[in-house]
Amino acid sequence: MIGIPTALLLGSILLLLLLFVAMRGSGNARKLSSGSDLPLLDDQAALDPCPPEFVARIFSSEDWKFVAKAKSPQLENLFRRERKLVALLWVHQTSTAIRRIMREHTQATRQSHDLHFATETKLVLLYAELMLLCGMLFLAIQSAGPQRVRGLAVYADALSQRLAQAQLDFQTVTVGPKLHSAGSS
Amino acid sequence: MNATVKLVPVQAAYDDLLNRSLSKISCDLARLIYLASTRDYNTGTYHHDGLAARFRPDVAGKALEIAHRQIFYQLSAYSLEELLAQLQTYLDCSHESAADVLRTWQKLEPYRIAIPVEVNPAVARLFLSNVRLALAIWRFRQEQAPKHP
Repeated sequence: MIGIPTALLLGSILLLLLLFVAMRGSGNARKLSSGSDLPLLDDQAALDPCPPEFVARIFSSEDWKFVAKAKSPQLENLFRRERKLVALLWVHQTSTAIRRIMREHTQATRQSHDLHFATETKLVLLYAELMLLCGMLFLAIQSAGPQRVRGLAVYADALSQRLAQAQLDFQTVTVGPKLHSAGSS
Repeated sequence: MNATVKLVPVQAAYDDLLNRSLSKISCDLARLIYLASTRDYNTGTYHHDGLAARFRPDVAGKALEIAHRQIFYQLSAYSLEELLAQLQTYLDCSHESAADVLRTWQKLEPYRIAIPVEVNPAVARLFLSNVRLALAIWRFRQEQAPKHP
């Protein structure tokens, strides 16, 4: 049996380690996707969101099975390289969007006088989970390839949409009444 | 009120474009290339004389832009097998030699300029990647196919 202080210490170390992996993963994804032939994303820029069906397509094994039928190592290598880059770009794009949402949320909370501790905690935990997932996805894509992590990617995508929706709801609740009162004054 | 007045002509122009021009093109890949060719390289705006004459130039441009984005997302969602079929149809309908077209496409990658502006970067990269792969598979199949005298 370990005591509560030891458990807390171990938990904190583990959390820090995982956050480190997440940050490193995101940074590396950025570096790798810069080798891609499209301009890198600006952290400030709002993106046209990636539709969920494309997340499933990027991480799908259907195309891999089709390429494998040709029994050409050259084609297989090309497919692995190409799809890995697309998947890493998606991870980078997702983590960029998550950071932007949280930045916007932090700015919005500064102006709000009606904060709910439970809601804020939930959002921070959701953010931490997402950043962690992005880090894990980065490592898994690098080591196992995108096709093996389809479920995780689809889950991360759904979570990021939940985070975006939560921020949108928060803005509607906090900024909406202000706009309304500004409009009526 | 204004929004409704503006939206209806764009929808009408879009339907007109779909019925008069796009439906006569053999496949989605050819439709994408056609729509991209109506875009000015310098300004990024779309032009179509016939459509502009029937509606207004700005309405025609908006309809072309919407159609371009729509066909791009449609094509990007295709599996590699489906994209290869699109490529095959495109080559069959082209009046050039398929081998020449493929060689040029692999060297110059002209399909890169067929991407609309402000689409999701991961989807744009997926599209480029899939076209590159489809070209490589097509070439591989040609090399494997028995040569006829």
